[in-house]
Amino acid sequence: MQGFGRFLAYRLGRMLVALWAVVTVVFVVMRLSGDPVPLLLPPDAPIAEMERLRHEMGLDRPIFVQYGVFVNQALRGDFGRSIHFRTSAMQVAWERVPATLELAGASFLCAIIIAIPAGVISAIKRGTAYDSIVMGVALIGQAAPTFYIGIMLILTCSLWLGLFPTSGRGEWRQLVLPAITLGAFAMASIARITRSAVLEILRADFIRTARAKGLPEFYTIAKHTMRNAAIPIITIVGLQLGNLLGGAVVTETIFSWPGIGRLAIQSIYNRDYPIVQSCVFMTAGMFVVLNFMVDVAYGILDPRIRRK
Amino acid sequence: MSHRGEGDGMSVESLVRQFRDGVITRRGFLAGAAGVLGSLAAAEGLLARVAGAQSKKTLTVGQSADVSKLDPQMSTTVNDIAVTFNLFDNLTSRHADGKLYPSLATEWKLVNPTTWQFKLRPNVKFHNGDPLTSTDVKFTYERSYDPNAKVITKSVLNTIERIETPDPLTVVIVTKKPDPLLAARTSYYAGQIMPKNYFQKVGEDEFNAKPIGSGPVKFTSWVKDDRMILDANRDYWGGKIAVDQIVFRPLPELAARIGALLKGEADIVTKVPPDQMERVSKAANTKIEGVLYGGLYCLSVATQKPPLDSKPFRQAMSLAIDRELIVKELWRGQAAVPNSMVIKGDAHYDPTLPPLKYDPARAKELIKEANYKGDELLIETPIGFMVMDKEMSEVIVSMWKDVGINARLEQIEYSVYQQKIREKSFKGVRWTDPTSAYNDPDGMMWRHLAEGGPNAYWFRNARFDELGTAARFSVDEKFREQAYKEMARIELDFLPLIPVIQPMELYGLQKAVEWKPYANQMMEFRRFNLKVNRA
Repeated sequence: MQGFGRFLAYRLGRMLVALWAVVTVVFVVMRLSGDPVPLLLPPDAPIAEMERLRHEMGLDRPIFVQYGVFVNQALRGDFGRSIHFRTSAMQVAWERVPATLELAGASFLCAIIIAIPAGVISAIKRGTAYDSIVMGVALIGQAAPTFYIGIMLILTCSLWLGLFPTSGRGEWRQLVLPAITLGAFAMASIARITRSAVLEILRADFIRTARAKGLPEFYTIAKHTMRNAAIPIITIVGLQLGNLLGGAVVTETIFSWPGIGRLAIQSIYNRDYPIVQSCVFMTAGMFVVLNFMVDVAYGILDPRIRRK
Repeated sequence: MSHRGEGDGMSVESLVRQFRDGVITRRGFLAGAAGVLGSLAAAEGLLARVAGAQSKKTLTVGQSADVSKLDPQMSTTVNDIAVTFNLFDNLTSRHADGKLYPSLATEWKLVNPTTWQFKLRPNVKFHNGDPLTSTDVKFTYERSYDPNAKVITKSVLNTIERIETPDPLTVVIVTKKPDPLLAARTSYYAGQIMPKNYFQKVGEDEFNAKPIGSGPVKFTSWVKDDRMILDANRDYWGGKIAVDQIVFRPLPELAARIGALLKGEADIVTKVPPDQMERVSKAANTKIEGVLYGGLYCLSVATQKPPLDSKPFRQAMSLAIDRELIVKELWRGQAAVPNSMVIKGDAHYDPTLPPLKYDPARAKELIKEANYKGDELLIETPIGFMVMDKEMSEVIVSMWKDVGINARLEQIEYSVYQQKIREKSFKGVRWTDPTSAYNDPDGMMWRHLAEGGPNAYWFRNARFDELGTAARFSVDEKFREQAYKEMARIELDFLPLIPVIQPMELYGLQKAVEWKPYANQMMEFRRFNLKVNRA
């Protein structure tokens, strides 16, 4: 188990370096991209007023001094005060996490409950009409832009059929359309990868052996195939979960869902550095933790990986 | 779960049991399951409707973005003002008819050219029960231009020299120079009266989080980017409004905003583009209310460089724009062609000037006269910050090409646009949508083109400046009328700003809601202007 411990420590170290790098890049890029002060003041505010505000926010100091202050605060979990909301940036971002998790979680569940069985059955029934239909739908899910799917769902399911509300967050019915919209891409890619991973394994010698020795087909698939096809499926599932957490900007905007993606994009337009940093930090944090968990899962599933 | 619909419908348990016992096939099971889900959703919808009927009467307003701040002196954006003008009251109020009415002040008069006296309405209380007195007015106004306060409304009331409060219901304001527009300024942002004691007790941040005013609604709760709930103030001096609650929801995506209105989830939505008008007005339960915007959509010209430094060239640019066509085709008739930088609806509007002309032949002559060498002319614009900005830019680029101007559209991001305004680094022309601040040319033509104004660039004209300064500090309305007439003509000759259209602002409403929008984008809900005809 010592090997596994070292494996974990190594992955953990890499996780921290990734977080630091992400936050630093965001710090630099946001400062290169424009000045927040003109956005905060009315168009006819005098120059002196702008200078005063810039000084008050510490934006007139050299960038490395700003970076020093930033790192010092960040280590204590403090990303400063939001320029726009005038309150703790981390707190503003934190308030959005439940909504984001709720939406990502629902999409994720939809995706795995539908996509993995669909992919497995597609692989088993390769070349049949079922396979063509599932893969055709998956292609649409992967190719259609999120805003198109979202608007079409609003038009059909809410306005024509009246099944679900058009937007907002609160009751479960408000969750359905955004969850499908957001999950469509993940669902499609998980189904496709599952299908090809399963197909790959089905061609392997040991499956032929299993079948030859008369194992029931269900057992062959569930035990021998799925366990060996798990690595690519877990990888794509992990990556897609990361995308669901961080990539919900369009879905959140269409459905007026108060999540972290929408906050981040709005804060980029507002040049609200502290909020953008907090959002990116949280999203990156969730992504990195997920990747770490996927790595650990590899280690558990495949002993060869942890020995490397 | 109860065995709902044992007869024709099915419950989940019975369905599973029948499937297990082999009474129904797999296909039958799936169809049944879909039916159960459907009936559950329907039942829940019914329950929600019954609950809704018993709950508070609510007015839901869908705006294009979320509220950002509630401290009225910390924000000038439309979506914030829509809320603060209901949480707070001003001394005066400009209604949908464009006229100034008493609000917290019952009367006001000019005592001498630099002294105004306002009489306050007696027995007005803030939401926490504190009385509203002249001390609160003095505190609010002084904070709005205090150089040490972190507010962003310093340019509105900065003509004030000092404020006296001889008694709790009298406010005497002495201005630095004569200010004919002071009463109008008090109706604008920066003038929402805040409670001095509460503010000083809780401090700036807490006040922004839990504001207290004297308006028809009280702050109740706010989930950012989701909804803000404001409960009706039952003791409002102007009478309780027609609903128990107003909810503001951010609905940034147009399709969702219109969808929420059509489905009845929102009672009023803002920023309806003209191409959605028919859809809303043809639906059974919704309608459109439009108001001619109290401002203009103009092209602001960076006049310092050739060919834009040439007066004939700028005149050619204006003559080459077929405004009638833009109004008819792009705006579906929902806009007016302006005749100058003084708009219809404002004081000192000059009806004798004809609407701006379209004359491509004359434009071509003027271009020759200007000795134009074919330099590229850019329209730099963010997309979607004004209704139809992209479409209008594309049309104007092609109209300019038709008369021989080598024009091109360049898309920029909104914050870059803001920065370029500051740095005056636009290369060609840009869109601007100046609002007429006090329904007076001083609040638009002069505010924007005076030296240092947001659209002044390098344009300067001695006569224009002389008249603008004199009219600003004159209380002689006859003189001001003449001055603005002359200034409007000077502007049309030099064209540092090319007026393009005066658009209608369209709002979508439920038919049950009676409310007229204001030209200055301020969304006031009061007992006298809001009716909701439903249970």
